[in-house]
Formats: sequence, C-alpha cells, structure tokens
Amino acid sequence: MAFLDNLINGISLGSIYAVIALGYTLVYGIAKMLNFAHGDVIMVGGYVVFTAMVDWGMNSWLSVGLAIVACTVLGITIEKVAYKPLRKATSLSVLITAIGMSYFLQNMALLIFGEKPKTFTSVINIPKISLFDGKVVIKGETTAAIIVSIVIVVCLSLFVNHTQKGRAMLAVSEDKDAAQLMGINVNSTISLTFAIGSGLAAVAGVLLCSSYPTLSNTTGAMPGIKAFVAAVFGGIGSIPGAMIGGILIGVIEILGRAYISPQLSDAIVFAVLILVLMIKPTGILGKKINEKV
Amino acid sequence: MKKKISPMTRKSFVTYGLLLIVFIAVEIMMNTGNISSMLKGLLVPVCVYSILAVSLNLTVGILGELSLGQAGFMCIGAYSSAIFSNLVKDTITQPLIRFPLAIIIGGICAALFGILIGIPVLRLRGDYLAIVTLAFGEIIKNVFAALYIGYDSTGLHFSLKSQGDLGLGADGKMIINGALGISGTPNDSTFEIAAAILFITLIIAYNFVNSRTGRAVMSIRDNRIAAESVGINITKYKLITFGLTAFLAGVAGVLYSHNFYSLQASKFDYNMSILVLVFVVLGGIGSIRGSVIAAVVLTMLPEYLRSINNYRMLFYAVILIVMMICTSNATIRNFFVHNFEKLKGLIFKNKSKTVKEAE
Amino acid sequence: MALLEVKKLGISFGGLRAVDEFSIKIEKGELYGLIGPNGAGKTTIFNLLTGVYKPTDGSILLDGVDITGKSTIQINRAGIARTFQNIRLFHNLSVIDNVKVGLHNHYKYSAGTGVFRLPKYFRTEKEMNKKALELLKVFDLDGEAYLPASGLPYGKQRKLEIARALATEPKLLLLDEPAAGMNPNETAGLMDTILTVRDEFGVTVLLIEHDMFLVSGICEKLTVLNFGQLLCEGKTGDVLSNPEVIKAYLGE
Repeated sequence: MAFLDNLINGISLGSIYAVIALGYTLVYGIAKMLNFAHGDVIMVGGYVVFTAMVDWGMNSWLSVGLAIVACTVLGITIEKVAYKPLRKATSLSVLITAIGMSYFLQNMALLIFGEKPKTFTSVINIPKISLFDGKVVIKGETTAAIIVSIVIVVCLSLFVNHTQKGRAMLAVSEDKDAAQLMGINVNSTISLTFAIGSGLAAVAGVLLCSSYPTLSNTTGAMPGIKAFVAAVFGGIGSIPGAMIGGILIGVIEILGRAYISPQLSDAIVFAVLILVLMIKPTGILGKKINEKV
Repeated sequence: MKKKISPMTRKSFVTYGLLLIVFIAVEIMMNTGNISSMLKGLLVPVCVYSILAVSLNLTVGILGELSLGQAGFMCIGAYSSAIFSNLVKDTITQPLIRFPLAIIIGGICAALFGILIGIPVLRLRGDYLAIVTLAFGEIIKNVFAALYIGYDSTGLHFSLKSQGDLGLGADGKMIINGALGISGTPNDSTFEIAAAILFITLIIAYNFVNSRTGRAVMSIRDNRIAAESVGINITKYKLITFGLTAFLAGVAGVLYSHNFYSLQASKFDYNMSILVLVFVVLGGIGSIRGSVIAAVVLTMLPEYLRSINNYRMLFYAVILIVMMICTSNATIRNFFVHNFEKLKGLIFKNKSKTVKEAE
Repeated sequence: MALLEVKKLGISFGGLRAVDEFSIKIEKGELYGLIGPNGAGKTTIFNLLTGVYKPTDGSILLDGVDITGKSTIQINRAGIARTFQNIRLFHNLSVIDNVKVGLHNHYKYSAGTGVFRLPKYFRTEKEMNKKALELLKVFDLDGEAYLPASGLPYGKQRKLEIARALATEPKLLLLDEPAAGMNPNETAGLMDTILTVRDEFGVTVLLIEHDMFLVSGICEKLTVLNFGQLLCEGKTGDVLSNPEVIKAYLGE
C-alpha cells in the first residue's frame, strides 16, 4: 500500500510539473528559447495568492483569478522588455538574459517578501478520498492537481489545433519568416504564447503551494528546472509530451525519494535528463529538426 | 618586413603587467602592515573568483557555449583535494610540497569529470548543453552533500547514508560528514600561491586562445558548419575546451577549500555558477582581462558598500539582462558604438589624426 | 580514372525526392559547371558530396576511394573542400586566421605545445603565417590579413572563403554560386581567380552558378539538373544550345 501511496503522490506532483512543462514547451516551440524565468513566475503566482488571501482578505477563487491575471501580465512584460530586443541575437545571449530575468524575479521577491518562508494555506476544498478501508488516502490537492492538468492539456490541444490563433502559433513554430509572409502577426503570436504559458504558471503555482505549503523566493526554481526536464523528456514542443514527461518525472522523483535516497531524489531526476538526452535527445514524442545549410 | 607584435600578444602582456603591479602593491601593503583585515581576507577569494571567471570565459566566450556547471567542477576540485590534504597532513607536513600536489589532484579530478560529462553532452547545443551542465552541477552538489567518508586503521570507509553507517573503528576519523561537509583542511591557500596560480591561469588562457587549438575552437563558435567543412573535429575541440575549463575551475576549488577550515557542498550551488557568469558577462564575453577586472571589482565592492549588500543579487540580475540587450541588439549597440566613437573623437582628436597620417 | 565519380546518387526528405539517380564523372583538372533552375537540387548535391547529408542511395568515389556516407570532416581530409552559397566565414577571426583554420590539418602541434609555447609552436606558426599570406596574395587579400573577416566587402569575403577552402589542400573544390551578388567587373576578376586556382594549384573545380557569362566563360563541361534529376550533360557549348535545357530555364 505504501507503494500505491507513493505512486499517487508521484502522479500528483507530476501533474503539477506537467502544467509547468506546458509553459516551457509552448515558449520553446514558438519563440525557440528556453525561458529560464518560467519557474519563477510560479513563485510570483504563489505570492500573489498569498498576499491577496492573507493581507487583503480576498476570497480564494478571486485570489487565484488575480494571480492568473498578474502572471499573464508579467509574462507579456518580460517578453516585451527582455526577450523581444533579442529576437535576432544568438541563443547564448537570449539564454543569459533569461537567466538574468529568473535571478531578477527571485531577488525582487526576496526584497519584497523577505527571507522567511511563508506558510501557504491550501485553496482547494475538495474532500479526500479513502480507498482500501482508509489504507490509501487521496488528498483533495492530489485530485485537484490531476483534474486541472488533464483539463488544461485537453483545452490547450483543442486551442492550438482548432482555432485560428492556435494555428498561427503552429505556423510561427514551424517558420517565423514564412508565417510573417503569410500575414501572421509574429509579435502578437509570441506575446500570446508567453501570456498562456505564464497564466498556466500561476495555476501551477497555486497547485504547488497547496500541496507543498512552504513559499519562498526560490519556490519556483527547482520545480521549474524539473519541469523543463519533463518537457525535454516528453519531447520539447509537444503538448501531450509535456503531460507524459511531467507525470514520469513526478513519479520518478517520489519513488526515488522513497526507495533510493531522500537526499538524492533531485540528482536522480537530473540523471534521467542526461540519460534521455544521450539516448533520445528528441524525447518521447519530439521530432527531429534539421539544420539548413 | 618589420616584425610586428600581434594585437593578442600585446593584450596579454598588458594584462600580465597590470596583475604584477597590483601584486607588488598588495605585497608592499602587507609587509608594511598597511592592510585592513577585511582586505586581507578578500585576497584569496578574489584570486579564486578571477580564476573561475577566466575559466568560464573559455567556454562561454571562446567556445560560445553556456556552462552552468562551474560550481560543480569547483566542488570536485575542492573536495578531492581536501580529502587528499586531510589524509596526508600528518605525513607530509611541508605545505609547499603538499599543496601543489593537492592542486594537481583537484584540477585533474575536475578535468576528468569535465571530460566524462562532455563526452555524452557536447553533442548537444545551446540551451540543452546549459541545462545539462546545470543538472550535473546539482548532481555533484547533492552527491557530496550525502557522502560520508572516514578512515581508521583498516582503511577508508564510504557511505551515502549516515556517519554511523561507516562502521569506523575506535581510532577512526571523519573526513566528509555528509551535509556538514569537510573540516580540518589545512589552510594552505596563501595570497602568494593564489596570485601565482591566477597568473598561470592567465598565461594558459591567452596562449590557448592564441594557438592552433584556440583558433579551431573559435572557428566552431563562429560557424560550426564551415568549421566542419575545413576538417575541424568539433567534438574533440569542444572536449578540450570543456576539460580545460573544468581543470581551472577545479584548481580554483582547491584554493577555495584550503582557505577555510570547514566547507559544505551547499556552498557550490547554482548561485555560485551564476555569480561567475555575471563576472564573465560584465567583463565582456571573450575578454579575459575583463573577466578578471569584473571578478575583482564585484568581489570587493559589496564588502566595502555594506549598505548595498541587500541589492547585490538584484544588481547582478540587472547586469546580465542589460549587458545582453546592449551588446546583442543591433539598434542599441550601434547607438552606443556611434556615441562612443564620437566621444573618442572628441577626446583623442589629435592622437587619431597623427595615427592616420602615419598610415 | 576520373577524380570524382558519382553513381545514381539519391536522397529523400520525408516524401520528397530531392535528388534522384544523379550521376556525374569529373576528370582531374577539369572546370565543371552544375547548373539548373532554382530548387533543382544543386546545393543538395553539394551537401551530399561533402557529407552534410547522408545519401539514401548511390555511391561517391573520390580518386578511386569510396567516400559515400562519410562525415564532413573525413570527406574534407579525403580531399573535397567547398564554399557556401550564403557566405560562412569565421567572422570574428582575422582574415589570416580564417585561412589558418583551413591549414589546421596540415600544420600540426598539440594543444599542450600551444599552451606551453614549446619551440615547435613558434616554428609551426611561422610556417603557417607564411603559407597563409601566400594564399591570401593569390586572392589579393594580403593587405587585409589582420582585419576581422566581417569587415571585408562582400566580394572579398567570397574570395576569402575560396582561399580558406584551398588551404585544406583539396583535390576537388566545390564552389556554390561564387559570383552571386557580384557586379560584372568583380565577376570577371573572379573568373580569372578560378582559372588561376585550377592552373596553379592543380585543383579540379565543380561550381554551381546562375551567371551564364561566368559559366560559358570558364566551364569546360556542364551538367544540367532539373527537379532533382539529371537533364543533360556534356561540353558547355553543346549543353547551352540544347533545346531541352533552354526549355527548362525559360519554360514552354
């Protein structure tokens, strides 16, 4: 039964990773950049909900809505201020800028909210489910994480494949210049991508902080990097890949923590990344990209 | 034809000269007792960070790839050499024999790891390479933080669980105590040795860049496909650069670990790698002298301006973003270059004229 | 024996047959042209010959040695060097260093020799500089040797690319649209340079070009490609008067 417990916890954590990984995958697929600051947008989402609920006494659903709006605006702003001027720059410059942005958000939060971690109150009020005479308990947060991630993946897939804006995103991801020639507004498409990704990060932030209630300025950093690992594992650029990769990474992490070593669970996740990149760099559902000569 | 000194050689000798002047000045201050204890305490760290920055610049500026594993290589150098020094400190009591050995061991261990990591990941480019080096750095840090090593009359004992799990005899001594790290390392790092190693690092870096190997590496950076078309073995030169970067970072780690009585693996975290990246970016990607200057200034400044200490990291973040936008965005860069030329024209009006006439 | 003998070379990208059953035979010392409308697959053939793409079928023999499926590096060492349609210089390196990278596999010393400045370093670097300057002189670039390559005007960048390729001491030189973007004067100068390269360095040349003035002026033989397939081949004069070729270029 302990194994089942761990497995459920793994899927729960993995669902959260999946929601974060979607943000990475969308941005990587369309803007062709690794948005290092994505993980820190999660942390910002967490702080917005916390401040709205505790300091301003707002209702939990309203707080979540506010966090989504705030993160969406933040995502668009980051793109406009830091990444847009570098559209034509080398990937090295873009990557360093993204790292700088990540560091900026972390340290801004440190200055505003202080070093002491906040204790987050879960916003989820789904009753827990008991199985096998109470031997296995599925917490409300777990149910919420799994349901929310599935809904998001389905909606996002429908959006990308069946709406005009979504297809514009696909076109930009294939060939930015050709898409521009076909009359697609590349800038607004990239903005939209960042908006969606950051909105999802806010949702992920709420789910993450509800399950793991310690909120500090580095809350988003590690889950962010692990979610990127998940996106690579599933195949970067693929929406279902992000879901599969997320769940797998979550399960590997929790099982590794339980059965191998609690100190080494992060190391195990990173070892998986290295193995995937050695064996199949395109991930489970990724496609090969040919370089033009 | 008149024999002329290449601009690269001139650049390197100016750097050596500057370093020598600073070194002599510090030595005079130390010998006349005109040095604050704070500055004295900063001398070795300044050298350590300078070496780290130069070493990372070889990968970022010369090879054109981003490595976020600098702290990891440093950690390997620090730990392997500290283990060595702890084991032999009773048998080799002379630091001038013990420490060079420790430096070589630390450097080689880090270089071996660098190459080991390099073989599978250097096929990857750009973002993937960066994230994999970050992952390796984290793995190294986590493994060392979970590692217990002790020794007794029966030999060395290892464990990944706990101190008790080692089963040391009554005469046993701990070397690495898990997250508590390593303690009892002899304080062999002196400013003179650290400065000498920084000097050697600079010579290695300049000579590397200005050689057949360095040219091959830079050709890969400038145009990978063209480099392959003239027969440059991409993997080989990436590995050499990566190994050299790791070696120098490992040596910096040795100096670092022998500067403190005790040391925890948690010191070598992501923030350390970012810090070194900030030095490289501020000093100018590809500029070896710039790396050293940035490392020195950014290590000293926060100590002297305690009031800004809270904003230090925020400042680093802004450096990364602003430097990248200013150097990589064509419009902004041209604006700066244009105005800089104008400014230079105003200041050096007469001088530039004479140069033109001479030509 | 022919210097280059390509038999039934083909490659597919997904469902697209980019090159199909392409054969060519080039004798030593020939100046050979590969022409055809845009999108006919000319650059793809260069990429197949230099190992950038691996052919799905067919074989490539260079001087009797099978180089099919070999890597770009191995093929360069076997004796094929090339230039690119969109110039690919090492733009941050100086002009002379671009050529010295080309000399890389012929003037060797180890990384350690370079770092520790052993005598061999100075000896070899001196030889390399001499050789590189000689090469630059052929292309009238010796005056700009220590400028960054990115600072050269367009026409000189093309010449530098040829110099860099020649530095690898190839048996066969592939030039991908060497006259693209040049004015008639520059093109005339380039034609002289290509002839010099062939005559003085004894290098066989295969070039892709749209400029018919250049093609008819210096190529001895031509192969015409259309839709990835060989349309016709032979002496330049015969090929250019072939009605099939005219039709492919001008349409019905």
